[in-house]
Amino acid sequence: MANLVIDNVKKSYGSTEILKGINISIKAGEFLILVGPSGCGKSTLMNSIAGLEDVTEGRILIADNDVTYTSPKDRDIAMVFQSYALYPNMTVEQNISFGLEMRKVPKAERDVEVQRVADMLQIDHLLNRKPAQLSGGQRQRVAMGRALARRPQLYLFDEPLSNLDAKLRVEMRTEIKKLHKKLGTTIVYVTHDQIEAMTLADRIAVMKDGEVQQLGSPQEIYDNPANLFVAGFMGSPAMNFIPTKVVEKDGVPMLELATSTTVALPFPKPESLKDYVGKTILLGLRPEMITEPQPHKEGQPFVTTTDVEVEVTEPMGADTMILTRVNDAEINCRSNPMYPAEAGSIIKMMFDTSKAVVFDQKSGRRLDL
Amino acid sequence: MSNNTVGRKSSGLDKVFRIALYTVLIVVASFYLMPFVVMLITSLKDVEEIRTGTLLSLPASLHFDSWAKAWSSACTGSSCGGISPYFLNSFQIVIPAVMISTLLGAINGYVISLWKFRGSDLFFAALLVGCFIPFQVILLPMARTLGWLGIANTTTGLVFVHVVYGVAFTTLFFRNFYQSIPGELVKAARLDGAGFFTIFYRIILPVSTPIIVVTVIWQFTQIWNDFLFGVAFSGFDTQPVTVALNNLVNTSFGGKEYNVDMAAAIIAALPTLAVYVFAGKYFVRGLTAGAVKG
Repeated sequence: MANLVIDNVKKSYGSTEILKGINISIKAGEFLILVGPSGCGKSTLMNSIAGLEDVTEGRILIADNDVTYTSPKDRDIAMVFQSYALYPNMTVEQNISFGLEMRKVPKAERDVEVQRVADMLQIDHLLNRKPAQLSGGQRQRVAMGRALARRPQLYLFDEPLSNLDAKLRVEMRTEIKKLHKKLGTTIVYVTHDQIEAMTLADRIAVMKDGEVQQLGSPQEIYDNPANLFVAGFMGSPAMNFIPTKVVEKDGVPMLELATSTTVALPFPKPESLKDYVGKTILLGLRPEMITEPQPHKEGQPFVTTTDVEVEVTEPMGADTMILTRVNDAEINCRSNPMYPAEAGSIIKMMFDTSKAVVFDQKSGRRLDL
Repeated sequence: MSNNTVGRKSSGLDKVFRIALYTVLIVVASFYLMPFVVMLITSLKDVEEIRTGTLLSLPASLHFDSWAKAWSSACTGSSCGGISPYFLNSFQIVIPAVMISTLLGAINGYVISLWKFRGSDLFFAALLVGCFIPFQVILLPMARTLGWLGIANTTTGLVFVHVVYGVAFTTLFFRNFYQSIPGELVKAARLDGAGFFTIFYRIILPVSTPIIVVTVIWQFTQIWNDFLFGVAFSGFDTQPVTVALNNLVNTSFGGKEYNVDMAAAIIAALPTLAVYVFAGKYFVRGLTAGAVKG
């Protein structure tokens, strides 16, 4: 177990910059998730940590040792790959013990270690099979077993669940989380699935175009996104972005909302909108903040009830998503499935702006930080 | 057409088509077999019978002495020891040449596919040009090179020539095969602590059987059947069997012994035939493997 410091790491191929100065530092035992759209540089960063790719500039430290120019095998890390990368010609047992064999661990010790890992992952009965004879979930387990066997200082997971079907993915997600709790290992985990990111991480680094957009705990990133990109990327369904005119009422800037009627929504930090009176900004409101009228919230500050026209409803069982139109933007609302909402009808919805965020329309910069 | 009959009661028309199909297949097959059949029956006749009979008439009685003569006492040029010494020469050339060129091709393909370096694609493209260089073009420079290396007129020299010429093809085969192996496999092995050759030997080679078979058959056939390099670079004692066969056919004291010629030709062709019969199944399988995602 070790801490990891990524210090101003840059990587470029010719004139194309893939990583533009990444700074991340995680404590021993921390679970860091790198998340972002494809091509954001997260896999490159992962490979740089592993030593499979050289960095152009900057330093990487594992357990306070500078390993920037150390070869992969001497960094004491293990990696789980998206394709699992099991050695097809070896049995599960040989796959797991290969790393130990390469490090000249005696056979007896290797056997003990294989047994320990197999018990932990419940793959005992598969030890004599070849990877081709395993199902996707079993291969995934073996790949994790191979990483666990060496007890390295740092684990890297490169989209390990993306080849599994939806149900298995959820199961394995829970299992990885349990494993992390049990072993307390330091993990860097790459994914493009923001639900995985939210559920697993101690901290999330949201990346785009080779830069870290925001580094923080899942809740921080969800509630307090640093910019428009992070706000739009995290959360499912995504945050609603509503172009809204800032109007002044009794000297306080408020947000104008036009449906069939026009209302002004209060904003928790009105002072940050001072300079924008009369201009249009982007209001970011999560779907769960627009609900059917809830009696217990009635009368709270920052809660406004108004009429909206239902365009489409999407029942999801626990909730029903209601699609409607506000300020000419399509928005998603999360309502109780019992709340009557016919497509085409006008219904009352409650807008809770206590957690609303506002962005500059052009730059995507957060205005109320 | 024949596919339509599956799962349906065959009607009269289907039967006609089926018979027509088999007729065509049999005619074509016998057309291709004809030369071999002629060779075989000619080799079993005696000289007298060849002169009086027709090409396709069956031998009145079987004479195997032409085979014995071709093997051990027919004259090739000025020596009269049959083609057996040259047959062995061919093996002496083919076996090391096939092994070395296959191994080099495997390592080249491994590097080009899985250890990409700056310019590795260009390197591969340059190597590919080697597949398109006609034999004749390299005759003179190769003769100079062999002389300079001191291995002119030896079987070693011929091994060298065939390895150099074959590496382009073997590399192409292995490179294409390894293209379907995920790069993550090598990454995983590197993290596990394996080095360049350990990965090759422990992980890559064990999954390469199909392509090794293809390459070995290809190289064996190419090198065994080669005549031009054999005739240009061999010495008197180091001729491969193809050259000896040519000499045998062109050397005649008195009448032409067609039966001996034919027997010698069949003997010379046997090893490649055998390789294809035993490994042909893998050959077709290996050629298509990787074509449809491995």
